[in-house]
Amino acid sequence: MRPMLCTCLLISAMLVSGCWDRTEINDLAFITGSAFDLTKDKKFLLSVQIAVPSSSQGGPEGAGNGTQERFFVLSATGKNTNDAFQKIQQKSSRKLFTAHRSVIFVGEAFGREKGVNDVLDVYAHDPRQRLRTYIMVVKGGTALEILQTHYPFEQVPIEAVKEMEGLRSELAVTLRDFFVEASGEGINPVTGVIEVQHSPGGSNDKNNIFKLAGSALFKDLKVVGFLDGVDTDGFMWATDRMKHGRVSTELPNGAGIVGVMLNHADRKIKAEVIGDRIKVNIRLSGQGSLVENNSALDISRPKNVALVEKCLEKTVQKQVRSTIDKLQRQYKVDSIGFGRDIYQNRPKQWNAVKSQWDPKYQNAEVSIEVKIQLKGSGMAGPPLQLKDKETIH
Amino acid sequence: MKARYSAVTELDHPELEANDTIKADLEQNETVFKRLFQNCSDVEYREIRTAGRLQWLIVYISSLINEEVVDNHIVKHLIAKCSEADHADLRSAETLNDQMISAGSTKMTVNLKEIVSKVLSGYAAVLTRADDRAVLVKAAGTKQRSLEEPSSEPVIHGPRDGFIENISTNMGLLRNRLRTPRLKMESFTIGELSQTAVIISYIAGIAAESLVEEVRKRVTRIQIDGILDSGYVEEFIEDLPYSPFPQVHSTERPDVVAAELLEGRIAILVDNTPFVLIVPMTFWTGLQASEDYYTRWPIATFVRWIRFLFIFIAVFAPPLYVAVTTFHQEMIPTNLVISIASAREAVPFPALVEALLMEITFEALREAGIRLPKQIGQAVSIVGALVIGQSAVMAGIISAPVVIIVSITGIAAFTIPRYSFANGIRLLRFPMLFLAGMFGLYGIVLGFLGILLHVASLRSFGEPYFKPIPLSFTSLKDTFIRAPIWAKTNRPILGGTDNPYREPRGQKPGPSRGEQSS
Repeated sequence: MRPMLCTCLLISAMLVSGCWDRTEINDLAFITGSAFDLTKDKKFLLSVQIAVPSSSQGGPEGAGNGTQERFFVLSATGKNTNDAFQKIQQKSSRKLFTAHRSVIFVGEAFGREKGVNDVLDVYAHDPRQRLRTYIMVVKGGTALEILQTHYPFEQVPIEAVKEMEGLRSELAVTLRDFFVEASGEGINPVTGVIEVQHSPGGSNDKNNIFKLAGSALFKDLKVVGFLDGVDTDGFMWATDRMKHGRVSTELPNGAGIVGVMLNHADRKIKAEVIGDRIKVNIRLSGQGSLVENNSALDISRPKNVALVEKCLEKTVQKQVRSTIDKLQRQYKVDSIGFGRDIYQNRPKQWNAVKSQWDPKYQNAEVSIEVKIQLKGSGMAGPPLQLKDKETIH
Repeated sequence: MKARYSAVTELDHPELEANDTIKADLEQNETVFKRLFQNCSDVEYREIRTAGRLQWLIVYISSLINEEVVDNHIVKHLIAKCSEADHADLRSAETLNDQMISAGSTKMTVNLKEIVSKVLSGYAAVLTRADDRAVLVKAAGTKQRSLEEPSSEPVIHGPRDGFIENISTNMGLLRNRLRTPRLKMESFTIGELSQTAVIISYIAGIAAESLVEEVRKRVTRIQIDGILDSGYVEEFIEDLPYSPFPQVHSTERPDVVAAELLEGRIAILVDNTPFVLIVPMTFWTGLQASEDYYTRWPIATFVRWIRFLFIFIAVFAPPLYVAVTTFHQEMIPTNLVISIASAREAVPFPALVEALLMEITFEALREAGIRLPKQIGQAVSIVGALVIGQSAVMAGIISAPVVIIVSITGIAAFTIPRYSFANGIRLLRFPMLFLAGMFGLYGIVLGFLGILLHVASLRSFGEPYFKPIPLSFTSLKDTFIRAPIWAKTNRPILGGTDNPYREPRGQKPGPSRGEQSS
């Protein structure tokens, strides 16, 4: 009798407690991306892109309907994210499922005027959200446009953005990174930037694609400016995000252009308060191999390699310098995190300068040292298309 | 009140008391036999008369014996002596036994019950006029199947003979492999009506005496009218009859039995079946094929790992699919989740019902495949592949991922080399499927823990089912890996054994051309 009783009690403990969250996969609407925008009358507009499952399978009965949409977009205005989300749910026959969302987009107008403060909190509180979601600012348009873009690769277009971000060819910032930077001392957050590229034909929306376009600078959770692609490269150097990339440099006296692929890059930063001034020393080092040589140099010669290395170092230094200048003078944001370095390594100094950090930052002295090593010169020494006597040994 | 079981009923010849004897009167004896074997048309009474007088009587069952033995070794000699039949010297059973019958196995007895039981197992009873003893001559000669490769345990590399339905042939197959007087064959008879011969076989000194005693006890306490297969015995001697896991290993292969005997286990042979039982069994036995020991060890180890992998797939693949698609959609990569959702778009059933539907259909196909005559088996597989594999998906009743999962599971169950073990594993899939459908991964974890607890607490003849886990290092050489034969110097530890070593150390071969390696 006792074992029977125990079994019954155990089974009822399993059955009556807890919540029953069984959902068939076909009762879910998989959200692949969300967008935050401002409407014309300054209201908060939330849009979600939902994958349409049946069209992505070339199944037996679906062979003919190639024209069917792979996704559709639902939008709603609301007081906050939760409210808008509820309104979207009312438009959907399936339960909205956010765990597969890979990117959230913030429209430029929304980011500049309202700031992301109001929309971010739901991502930290709701367990159904993923902190690995990328956050991006849409430059020069509404975020909704991105969701409506038909991208030819991938089952759903937003997956393409995720893949692009995964390649790390541009700045990729996840919600987690954003939260860490936004809450940290002495650093202002940044995000990646995406923009719609209208098709050359003009009117046909179907041929629009999107492209990554640098980075967005935040201050007080509002967008204050953008860095373009070149500056973003410099920014990635300066923030130690550069792991591999391509650098091209012009050789002196118009001798030609040399392209290098970096496969290893490192940054050391040292910021300190000396008297009244902030001094920052950034040391960059990189290793790479030559992939393109449009000059007549025989690049297998050590003398020529040293020459190329010098030029590369100058180029990188110029690039990083230009980025830091923009950050310091034009946008006045400490996105690289000079303040954070002081805070982490010299907390006492940080406490002293914290209150007047902004003016001090703008006048900080930044010195940049670059050391680049070429580890390989590719498969050929001198350019193969030139005659031997034309090459410079 | 219902009648309770009693070993002997009134139909069991009340006149056949344990100490009844035959008489010196031949006619009277014949009457006794004829009354006992009333309406038994296959009982033959060969009377040898001289001058109208009954001299000798031979009683045998024609369907059980080899007529040639009776003709050439008994009747022929008796008739040759007919002229001297009245000579007093020839009358006694001794003379009959010593001088007249030229057969190998004979026995003299007065006990009627023994005579009857021997006649029923293929002996010819020779009775003479002047003696109250009968000579029993072994003349058994029923038709036997020839030795064939066991169809339930085929191998590519390894001996191809299998046990047959005749117990003496089976004993011979074992003796051929272990030519030592230490190979014991203890005989028992079980079944009030079937009188089935059961042999307990073990190697003295290697099998623990306590274990042998336990097997003797469990086998002798069986009370039943008839034993038709070793499966009957298995169900009587198990430790935990409600477990889905077999606790007795049954095999058709003599090489398997010989190997197990050498490891200190005990074999139970039952007459009229090719399946020999081996106790105690462990979980790992269920995953070892005899071929593991005949192929080279790295390959055997690899194949063993494949089996470990597939035993998990056999139990957990469908439940995992159901759990992940109905509870944990966030665990699937985005592209895959959309693929699965697309495939399921037209399917009207929940994933659990879908999986159950396919699993049951698969089980039905499997069962039909066994029951159908070989010629129609082909048809079943075509129906299975076409109707279920393709049409069901086309019609949108079943989604393609489920078909894939069920097929993998089906194949996985067939990688388990021991048939009864595979059956138990297959059975577990269904409760797991329900648990997964109701509670998701939580249910799977609960179910897995339940199975683990059950197996860990299970015993076969007092030996832990999971032995040698936790650790007995020497026995582990044959559990997760199959160590080279020259490295397996120890017997697995099963109770006490006088001789724990199989072979001396240092037999690792090398290129040193037979010279002593230093």
